[in-house]
Amino acid sequence: MKNVLLAVLSFLLLLSCGNDDADLYEEINEQLELNVPANFPPMAQDISYNYPTQKGFELGRKLFYDGRLSADNAISCSFCHEQATAFTHHGHQLSHGINNLEGIRNAPAVQNMAFQSEYFYDGASNSIEMLSIAPIHNPVEMNETLEGIVAKLKQDKEYVRLFKQAFEDQQVSSGNVLKALAQFMTMIVSANSRYDKYVRNEGGVFSQQELLGMQLFQQKCASCHKTDLFTDSAFRNNGLPPNPNLNDKGREVVTGFETDRYKFKVPSLRNVALTAPYMHDGRFGSLESVLNHYSNGVRQNETLDPILNQNGTLGLSITQEEKDAIIAFLKTLTDEEYINNPLFYYKT
Amino acid sequence: MKFQIKYFAAVLAAVSLFVSCNNDDDSAIVEGTHGDAELFFDNGVAGDALIIGNTYTNSNGESLTINRFNYIISNVVLIREDGTEYIYPKEESYFVINHADELQTVHLEGVAAGDYKKIRFGIGVDQQRYLQGETAQQSFWDLAAANDLTWTWSTGYRFINFEGAFTSTAGTEAKPFQVHQGSNTATDNYREVTLDLPTTARVRENEQPSIHIKTDINVLLDGDTKILLQNNLNGAGTAAAIMGGQNLIDIAANSLKMFTVDHVHNGAGSHHE
Ligand code: HEC
Ligand code: HEC
Repeated sequence: MKNVLLAVLSFLLLLSCGNDDADLYEEINEQLELNVPANFPPMAQDISYNYPTQKGFELGRKLFYDGRLSADNAISCSFCHEQATAFTHHGHQLSHGINNLEGIRNAPAVQNMAFQSEYFYDGASNSIEMLSIAPIHNPVEMNETLEGIVAKLKQDKEYVRLFKQAFEDQQVSSGNVLKALAQFMTMIVSANSRYDKYVRNEGGVFSQQELLGMQLFQQKCASCHKTDLFTDSAFRNNGLPPNPNLNDKGREVVTGFETDRYKFKVPSLRNVALTAPYMHDGRFGSLESVLNHYSNGVRQNETLDPILNQNGTLGLSITQEEKDAIIAFLKTLTDEEYINNPLFYYKT
Repeated sequence: MKFQIKYFAAVLAAVSLFVSCNNDDDSAIVEGTHGDAELFFDNGVAGDALIIGNTYTNSNGESLTINRFNYIISNVVLIREDGTEYIYPKEESYFVINHADELQTVHLEGVAAGDYKKIRFGIGVDQQRYLQGETAQQSFWDLAAANDLTWTWSTGYRFINFEGAFTSTAGTEAKPFQVHQGSNTATDNYREVTLDLPTTARVRENEQPSIHIKTDINVLLDGDTKILLQNNLNGAGTAAAIMGGQNLIDIAANSLKMFTVDHVHNGAGSHHE
């Protein structure tokens, strides 16, 4: 429908303005194909308002990799979200942004975003289109404004052309910056790990240990790390003692409810072998330490998730052999195609 | 789809131009014609005029010096006597009121001609618009940001930005306060109000009614539910901030009584420029 309209429109424009502008209309913007992987739940975001197109996606990708989205023109989204580590900030417990300032949280993986209903550890956003507002304005991340970005991009002929191609209203505008980034994030889907190929019967093979790990995971972990997204997008307290230097109250920061104190969004575990360090403040350097936390480190707290407090016994009982098996299983969630997909990379 | 609607509107407009040429009776409603209307927001504090910098004492025993009072009005609907509605196009139905900048009028263009008895509008931004992000053509974000009506640490709009300094019975030194009303991902605090018009608002091709609405800021903290700024001080006790939790739900309920229609001007021209 849209394509037909665009075609008609460009035809009319061609008719009306003669030949001087013809190069602007040479390309027709195609909608991209977006298949929900067979083992995934349905999308949580309604993307029909901003359905990804070829040009919109490409523009979003360029923006994601462009430092001009920050006040000093140096910090792009990709600075903290690197493809090689499933779009996390490798080697940083707490992300570093503009002027080398340190934030209070660890950058999580950016993947399968349209399948999630809440974003950030505290749920500061629930819209794939609006979420970019948070890092852009954060004084220790990019410290820019949408208006500031638009003013910079309007100076750049290339961007003016790309926005024109990507959007019906052809404008370089705050709204279209957000939409383009959302289209990029909608398209970056990780669903081709060995685990996926195993559950979809596409030739993925599991060892005995990995199989055991999967069973244990389903018993002990999948009540929170749910579905093949490995998150239920809920906010829970998994028993980490609060870090006194940060005093991060988690979900309470957004809601203002004390009952939400120290609850954090359950993160997806896809590509988890690549995304160290772990937890909202990056306190654990390895998966071994994470498993040790669940078996020995869970602390009582008013908001501790009841799943981790069974009749006064804190944490989960997991033997060393079981820990090894669970970790072997978690490693099958690494998706080489995702981290190497050239479509998700833009050379600046 | 959008194109078609626009096209349709253009044809309608063209047709209506023809129709209006031989219409000399002002009060009859000509089907298919359109006119403008305006809403004027007269901001006050419990019966007093709102003057930036002036101090007002409320029944909670707190005295507030108001420095900022901005808010978002949205999703305007005009309702006829028989209950049928004219819904202003959603894409264009988000407006900012900024008291200090004297931005107090909402202009509605191309409203279907009719006799209207009630008005309904939203305070803030509805959840649907939130989730659609910036899909709307009008880049509302920029306007809201320019009027301090956006949140950036969480992503969304402030519905009401009410700031100043206060003293309470407990202390004598004035402390800054900030009341930022809005939704978050836990609570939807968008509310709509429906107000009766004391006289019919007549929209005609050459008649523009002006609906004069009184806004009482006082009810936000001193309405059905009392909210003391003194109880919302930060850890250091140096300032009060209300930006989340139960307070926002209470303010949303209080805000349902924030507006009353004082009078309606009918006739040609703008009344509050
Ligand atoms: C300075 C580092 C930094 C920059 C630059 C940055 N981010 Fe992030 N990102 C983070 C951190 C830290 C978090 C976690 C913050 C939190 O939970 O409060 C995060 C969280 C996210 C999330 C949430 C993921 C989830 O599962 O909830 C998304 C999506 C995201 N960022 C996208 C972006 C985009 C798009 C940009 C560019 C506009 C960007 N980020 C720029 C550090 C950064
Ligand atoms: C009660 C719910 C719950 C259960 C059960 C649970 N988790 Fe978690 N998990 C969480 C929450 C919440 C977080 C994020 C906590 C934070 O960052 O403060 C988390 C974080 C993690 C992380 C860090 C991910 C990252 O990218 O930083 C790993 C790894 C993890 N869990 C693995 C497991 C494993 C393995 C199990 C089973 C042995 C398990 N979890 C059981 C709720 C749970």
